[in-house]
Amino acid sequence: MAWERRDSNFYYYQSKRADDRVRKKYVGTGEVAQAIAHADETIRRSRAARSERARVELEEARTLASAGEGLWEAADVLAVAQLVAAGYHKHKGEWRMKRRA
Amino acid sequence: MLELPEDTRKRIHELQELSDKAQDDDQGARQELRRQLAQEVPEVVARCSDSARTYRRLLAKRSSGGSPLVEEAISERARRMVLELAGENPTPLEVLLSERVASLWVLVELQEALLAAWYYKAEGASPAFVLQMARLQESSNRRYLGAIKTLAQVQKLQGPSRVQVNIGGNQVNVSR
Repeated sequence: MAWERRDSNFYYYQSKRADDRVRKKYVGTGEVAQAIAHADETIRRSRAARSERARVELEEARTLASAGEGLWEAADVLAVAQLVAAGYHKHKGEWRMKRRA
Repeated sequence: MLELPEDTRKRIHELQELSDKAQDDDQGARQELRRQLAQEVPEVVARCSDSARTYRRLLAKRSSGGSPLVEEAISERARRMVLELAGENPTPLEVLLSERVASLWVLVELQEALLAAWYYKAEGASPAFVLQMARLQESSNRRYLGAIKTLAQVQKLQGPSRVQVNIGGNQVNVSR
C-alpha cells in the first residue's frame, strides 16, 4: 500500500499478489483514499500482531516441550540399565532374557 | 528451562556407559551395574522424580490459563494417573516412568488445547503456524507413546507381582 506523489497531488495505490506477481491497483485520491488507506493500515497492523502472537505462542510451546528432554532421556537410561542388570538384552527391538550358558 | 543437577547428569552418563558395557557381555560391568542400581542409583531416580513433578506443575500452571482451580484439577488428575500407572508397591523407577507418562499426557493435552484455541479464534491461524504446531504435537505424542511402552516393558519384565519387605525401617520391593 503506498501513496504516490505527482506534482502536488497524492494518489493511493494498493499492492496485491496474484499468480506470483505483485500488481499495483489505483485506489484514488482525497478523503476517500485516506479512509481506505487508514483501514488498510489497521488491517496490516492487526495481521502483524496476530503473527507475532502466533510466533510467541509457538516459541513458548517449543520451550515447554523441550524443557523435559534431559529428564526423559535420563529415565530411558535408568530403564535400560534396570533391564540390562536384570539379565535382559535387546534383540531386534525386543527385550529378551539372556540365555544362560 | 528444567535442568537436572550437574552431579545427577554425571551419574546418568556413567550409568549409561556401564549399561552399554554390560550389554556387550561385560560380566564385571553387569555386576557393577547391579551394585549401583541397588545402592547408589535410587537417590538419582528420586531426584529425577522430583524434577518430573516440578515439570508437571509447570505444565499444569501453563495449561490452567491462570485459574488456580484448573491448575489444581490438572495436577490432581496427573497425580492420580501416576498412582494408577505405577501400581501397588512400585519401585522408584516405576514411579519415575509413571511420572514421565503423566507429564507427557499433560503436555499433549496442552498442545491440543493451544491448537484448538487457535482454530476457534475469529482471526484464525496461518497454515504455517498450524503445521509447526502439529509437528510439535506429533513429536510429543510419539514421546508419550514411547514412555508408555517403556513403563509397560519395565513392569512386564520385572514380573507381575512384587512383595514389599521392611528391612531396618527401609521399604524394599522385591520382584518375584
